[in-house]
Amino acid sequence: MAKAWPVPGLRPRARFRDAAGRIIITRWREMMSYRDGTLAGEDIEELHAMRVSSRRLRAAMDAFEDAFPRKPYQRLVRQVKEITDVLGDARDLDVTIENLQSVRGSLDDAAQPGIDGLIDRFRVERTAENPIIAALFERIEVEDFGPRLEAFIAKHTGIVASELDPRPADGG
Amino acid sequence: MAKPRRVSGVDPDRRLRPNARRILAVRIDEVYQYDGAVADPANVTELHDMRIACKRLRYLLEIFSVAFTEDLDPIIDQVKELQDILGDIHDCDVQVPLLQRHLAWLQEREAAGARELVGSRAAGAGEVDAEAEIARFAEALSSSGRGDERPGVHALIARRRQERDALYARFLDEWRRLKRERFRARMERALDLA
Repeated sequence: MAKAWPVPGLRPRARFRDAAGRIIITRWREMMSYRDGTLAGEDIEELHAMRVSSRRLRAAMDAFEDAFPRKPYQRLVRQVKEITDVLGDARDLDVTIENLQSVRGSLDDAAQPGIDGLIDRFRVERTAENPIIAALFERIEVEDFGPRLEAFIAKHTGIVASELDPRPADGG
Repeated sequence: MAKPRRVSGVDPDRRLRPNARRILAVRIDEVYQYDGAVADPANVTELHDMRIACKRLRYLLEIFSVAFTEDLDPIIDQVKELQDILGDIHDCDVQVPLLQRHLAWLQEREAAGARELVGSRAAGAGEVDAEAEIARFAEALSSSGRGDERPGVHALIARRRQERDALYARFLDEWRRLKRERFRARMERALDLA
């Protein structure tokens, strides 16, 4: 599983609001770092890493909800939830297909057509997820979601994303 | 899915730690509220809700751990272990009905093939080509051309049910051990809630 990015400047005695800004911005940037790999669709681990990051982001947004005005914040949370859900649907199918492939060898010959039929069915469903993922990320871009989220966080926590500039632990 | 309870008294302009303590106290309570219900393996919804409560608690422990001097990793690992077993149970609970629906669809496909055969025999009575009829029936039975798919689906359902039983037994052992070893009290001490 992809490691969580370290949160720049997060100190044990931080104010709740300050920690909220630093953690949410870091998790947002971490999640979006997997966007291109996920859209390319060549390695299922990219989508997996993005899903894991999106769950970290959601958890952080839930944890720090008291640092923000409720209504506009909930709109942002709903958008992040949609990302998590869409990625989750695709990831669940990837895992199901992998599980079926691994269980296939342990079942007798009579069971093989049934397992193959299921794998085919889930592959079709998985392929159908790709345009849904692409459309979601296009909408995020068209609607300027990233800049809006970062501006909102800066306004209520004082943490500016470009100054925080979070990076993965290995600097890559 | 059970919604998380609102936490009162969080002040974003105070330090992280006192706020984290307030939030974590409520989320710990949410995990333990399922204690009675999960003693029954048939309580699928409660087992799922407990998994969600464990997930929330685990993520919060990870997020807030920076504010605590005590190493929270062993506690996080334990909550994750519980969450993972409950997650595997949930996967079985979701997959079995899904496989049953797939089975029903396969059976309907066979029935449609049989109906088509009976219909064509009635229409062309008197000049039946037996071999062609059998070939058509076989085609209708398996549009994928790979033979009867139902035994495999039955085998998978049986396997998932067995796994579910074993996972539930493991969960119950783990949950009882944690209670015996006073895991909640340990957690509360580490978070300075006791």
